[in-house]
Amino acid sequence: MNSVFRLLLWCCLLAASLLAALQIGAVDVSLSALLQSQADNALQTEIFWQLRLPRVLLAGLAGAALAVCGALLQLLSRNALADPYLFGVVSGAALGATISSLWLPVLALPVAAFAGAVFAILLVLALAQRAARQGIQSISTLLLTGLAVSFFCSAVASLLLYQADSFAANRIMFWLMGSLSRADWPAVQLLCVTLAITLTVCAVGRRQLTALNWSDDMAKSLGVAVQRWRLVLLLLCALLTAVVVAYCGGIGFVGLMIPHLVRLIFGSQVVPLLFGSALCGAIFLIWVDSAARTVLAPQELPLGILTALCGSMFFLLLLSRRSADEY
Amino acid sequence: MSDLLLHCAQLELRQPDGFVLGPLSLQLKAGKMYGLLGANGAGKSTLLQLLAGLKKPDRGEINLKKQDLSAYTATARARLLAFLSQQQAPTEMTVRQLLHLGLLPHKALWQRDNQSDRASIDRVLVETGLSQQADILLSHLSGGEQQRAHLARVLVQQARLLLLDEPVNHLDIRFQHQLLATLRRSGLCVLASFHDINLAATYCDELVLLQQGQMLAAGAPEQVLQPDLLQQVFGRPCLVDQSPFGGSCRVTFAPEPV
Repeated sequence: MNSVFRLLLWCCLLAASLLAALQIGAVDVSLSALLQSQADNALQTEIFWQLRLPRVLLAGLAGAALAVCGALLQLLSRNALADPYLFGVVSGAALGATISSLWLPVLALPVAAFAGAVFAILLVLALAQRAARQGIQSISTLLLTGLAVSFFCSAVASLLLYQADSFAANRIMFWLMGSLSRADWPAVQLLCVTLAITLTVCAVGRRQLTALNWSDDMAKSLGVAVQRWRLVLLLLCALLTAVVVAYCGGIGFVGLMIPHLVRLIFGSQVVPLLFGSALCGAIFLIWVDSAARTVLAPQELPLGILTALCGSMFFLLLLSRRSADEY
Repeated sequence: MSDLLLHCAQLELRQPDGFVLGPLSLQLKAGKMYGLLGANGAGKSTLLQLLAGLKKPDRGEINLKKQDLSAYTATARARLLAFLSQQQAPTEMTVRQLLHLGLLPHKALWQRDNQSDRASIDRVLVETGLSQQADILLSHLSGGEQQRAHLARVLVQQARLLLLDEPVNHLDIRFQHQLLATLRRSGLCVLASFHDINLAATYCDELVLLQQGQMLAAGAPEQVLQPDLLQQVFGRPCLVDQSPFGGSCRVTFAPEPV
């Protein structure tokens, strides 16, 4: 009962954050005027429906997606430092974006970035799978392969950018620092569907996830099809991260930090952890994006800078307040 | 004549580090308790993992209820066969939550745990003496209590055959006896590895002696516990006599001169 109450409380917080963030921005859009839908505020209506609302929703969804991915990967890899960007997703996306803006300008940036991200993930999974068949522990193999592919992709992308003209380089650099200015309804819909599928699969497979969090042997002896579950969950994580990166660029630290915070509030059981991560991640990114839009208005701050900045400070604070024996 | 639950023949596994297990053959009958003995590195854990389907043998076959082990789905296998590995670092959960995990092979994905599940978990908690600790986090319990929680999880799984890797390690003497007696009373088929030979001889119907991956002897305790065999395996001269309680075999090893 207590946990249900806590979940409801955080849902209310999310709703309040959404409403508040919708009021914040360069143009004043009052909700009451919108509801009356008078003919004279057509511009406001347009701003609200085509810019403000999709942007705030995308902020919430991207935050939720990154936090859920982080929590899921930390469960699967039994490693508290796992992060959605671990599998070279961001570097792969950056490579895709770089190639497209240098040689294939017809391809939209999100599409190219998504292709790059998916390429990186498939490369990591294929390499790790091959290594695992030779009898190497698959989880650590996966983490290390991800790291190697990540460095490889970012090295190639840097090399290309170094050779390219400064305009293209600027464009890519800004995108890599993360921004929600590209928000539109298709992005919101795509991310919403992917997130819903991921959360459903996790809720249904909560026992399997709990067993996998112990060890492969324990999961296998309890009748979990370990390889199949891990592949499905990793692919969902990868897909989710790829969609976020394609539309929003690199938003670091959310996936790493939010699950740790959520463990303190909701505990470590699979369902509360994942749904709590979705809620907290959404609230966090909605507020960070509101700050990014307003702090230096009319200029817009890159989102990744802000998340990394407040994320790392907050994280250090959290660590210093925890007693040594908790780790 | 009790019926055959698990049967393996000419089982062989070569590990990358050069260790070779087998070839060995083994038959486990329903309702009997088997003890697996051997020095460190003799292959006790490897054999248990092979029989549990966690590792694939290079050669030989394993039959569970007259069907090839690899032909079972993971879930079907887990309903018949439960495995307890050597102790592992606990994740963040309570004893009760760990026990609920034991129900996994019996549950469809969307199914929730019901009243009878909770009742059976409460019953196992009493059997393993963990009622007081049910809602405490595993990481806050002693090694022995964690071990009992894992054994309780295996019991919740309601399998016909239990493969236990050193189930009574970390336990104090009272719980060593209590748990082995619980296993005996359960009437399940148990294959467990032991370090304490006398404990194995007291509670097991048959013993299996392993040395460097080879089966040296198998059979009733008085057949297996021969002084010359034991000296060969454990490297110490020993005396075998009868325990004053119930007359089971008792092994006393000669101390190393100081």
